[in-house]
Amino acid sequence: MNELIPLMVIIPITAAIILNALGGKNSAVKTLSFVVAIVLPLIPIISNYGFHYFGGHSPLIDNGNLLSSLPSFISNGSLSTFHIGISYSFEGLQKILLFFLFIVGFLAIFTTINERKRISGQYMFLMFMGLGSVTAMLLSDDIFHMYIFFEIAIISQVGIILSSNDEQKYETAMKYMILGSIGGPILLTGIGFLLALVGSVNITDITYVIKNGIIDPYSPVFLFSFGLIFFGWIYSVGLPPFHTIKSAVYSKATPSGSALLQALSVVIFISFGLAILRIYSHLPFVHEVIIFFSLAGMILSITMALIETDLRRIIGFLAVGELGYIGLGFGIGTNLSITAALFQGLNELIITALLFIGFGVILQLTKTSDITKLGGLIEDNPKISIMVLLGGFAMAGVPPLNGFQSKLMLIQSALKANFPELAIIMILVSIVTFMTFIKIFHAAYLKPKPNNLTVEKSLVPRSTIFAVGVLLIICIVLGLIPDLVVKEFSVFVGGLI
Amino acid sequence: MDIYILIHNSVQKFKDKIKKDTITNENVSSAMAAELTIISTILISSIMLRHVNVLLTVLIILGLGLFLITNMPLISKLKKEQDDSLNKMMFYVILTLAILVSAIYWGVLK
Amino acid sequence: MIDTQLAALLCSGSFILIGLYAAIFLDNIIKKIIGLSFIEEGANLFLITLAYKADGIVPIFLPGMSPDWFMANSAYPLPHALVLTSIVIGACTLAVTLAIAMVLYKKHGSLSASKILGDNHE
Repeated sequence: MNELIPLMVIIPITAAIILNALGGKNSAVKTLSFVVAIVLPLIPIISNYGFHYFGGHSPLIDNGNLLSSLPSFISNGSLSTFHIGISYSFEGLQKILLFFLFIVGFLAIFTTINERKRISGQYMFLMFMGLGSVTAMLLSDDIFHMYIFFEIAIISQVGIILSSNDEQKYETAMKYMILGSIGGPILLTGIGFLLALVGSVNITDITYVIKNGIIDPYSPVFLFSFGLIFFGWIYSVGLPPFHTIKSAVYSKATPSGSALLQALSVVIFISFGLAILRIYSHLPFVHEVIIFFSLAGMILSITMALIETDLRRIIGFLAVGELGYIGLGFGIGTNLSITAALFQGLNELIITALLFIGFGVILQLTKTSDITKLGGLIEDNPKISIMVLLGGFAMAGVPPLNGFQSKLMLIQSALKANFPELAIIMILVSIVTFMTFIKIFHAAYLKPKPNNLTVEKSLVPRSTIFAVGVLLIICIVLGLIPDLVVKEFSVFVGGLI
Repeated sequence: MDIYILIHNSVQKFKDKIKKDTITNENVSSAMAAELTIISTILISSIMLRHVNVLLTVLIILGLGLFLITNMPLISKLKKEQDDSLNKMMFYVILTLAILVSAIYWGVLK
Repeated sequence: MIDTQLAALLCSGSFILIGLYAAIFLDNIIKKIIGLSFIEEGANLFLITLAYKADGIVPIFLPGMSPDWFMANSAYPLPHALVLTSIVIGACTLAVTLAIAMVLYKKHGSLSASKILGDNHE
């Protein structure tokens, strides 16, 4: 059923627009967002693999009748293979990532619905718009289309930050918008250079043109476009120097909002990263540049996480640091390493959502996220604390959880590709991640409770426990049976290179 | 100078730097862990230059090691550079853009 | 006579540079935002310049035209479509940024970026 492919984008965006129109009608908003959120994960499951050409504009070469009626310089040239309209491709990678993205999205929306007595349609609009736009980015084969939906995702991310209760939210949103207004147009200019050179913005066309030697891959225009698009990429995902603003953004939203924000970032990372790999991977220095920025991201984020005292900021930095692992996998550039990187991306999407939602309970009960003022919370909510502990183990890579499997794969791929240094650094950073996690866990749950800490005696909402539980089950299942997803990923990567 | 004394002194400096927070074991030990992490990861990752030139790598690692250890409380300096001020963020963003574009463009153009 | 396309390219380059200058060095948030929209417009102008063809015709294939003549003389239509989308997105971003600037002014009573957006983490 290939018709379902565009519906994965259309349904969340339509739902978003309707929810926005519903506005303050509480029960209607709740019902509609719940129904749409629960339907979304089913669509990637029942949809078949394939392509979708918008407006029916398949490449001319697939359309024999039309092709024979055209002049010979079109039908015999490379123009006949070009994609005329926007095309979506739906394969194993998209199926799995979208399924888990929609699960995380569902849990974020579900906890939001249950946490708040009154829910505004506008907030739900932002969440669904973010989901729809990153879905389009992942499906799209068109780099300009990706840019447009990326900008939409940024605007909805800013909206999600603004709807929290944090004091500093406006300042952080402003900084994010200012830096984004530099990064976005620079990315657009890079796409413009590609367009000037190739005449198409379709990634498959661009790779075709390069592979067949129609353009010179060492021409300055092409290299310049790499520089600009790469800069746009590091901005969009929060590698240095954007790691400070990205972690600040994560720490300013509501817990379920942050869970969604980081999921959006991971998907943006993967879709732009794959586009860059497909277009530029034959250039000699591309892998080194990606490795450099990923390493810098890992090291700077993890050290900042160690000395930070705000709980949400720490998880924000850890989340940004984990992105470095995906970047390293892309940078090493072998089949195994890219597969491992995709698997790591999937795991991070789930684990970080778990940690944000799980630690969000603390903020909700104590109204503070400063770890020096917290302590002894394990007696108030033991269930959540155990689940969060397991989630932290998954992030640090403790067997048999999913983080262990993907990090092991990454380390093996680094060793096989003759980069033992990277393997050592990955192990080192995951040890420090473990230490950081234990530090915040101790500070929040195990340390004696400070006298001036007031804990609200309200119960933890069932929906939060449910959300964390579901995410933890996914972690354990993927840790025990990684082949569920790794096989599909390796098939996808095999077709990529 | 004795390296042990150097490290000892830098621990003393840590205490001064983080005086405005309440000093706990956790603060000092995590700052020290961050310090060691940053030194060791930078040194290990610079071994990757061996793909370019082995002699150069040896020299760079020796130089870097000396530089990092003599500037010991690195982490407080790094934290200062990575605070939430827009001007600092903007400075590093523009610096990265400039270096990235010029290195890629002129580096390959020769 | 100056080549129109070259002039437009130089113009878009200087737009981006002027915008970057304003975004980095000017302290007033509104001025920064004006600079940012300069960068945006520079990128748009760059894209639209790619489509320019001296003495070109509108890229609509009418009956009676020979394909070869049409190929040689029509402007390239794709960038027009792209820029249209990109302008809309730019306008949305600008609107959101200005709205946040308004709230910040109400909150702080000032528009100085170094005062409002400095390090207020501590």
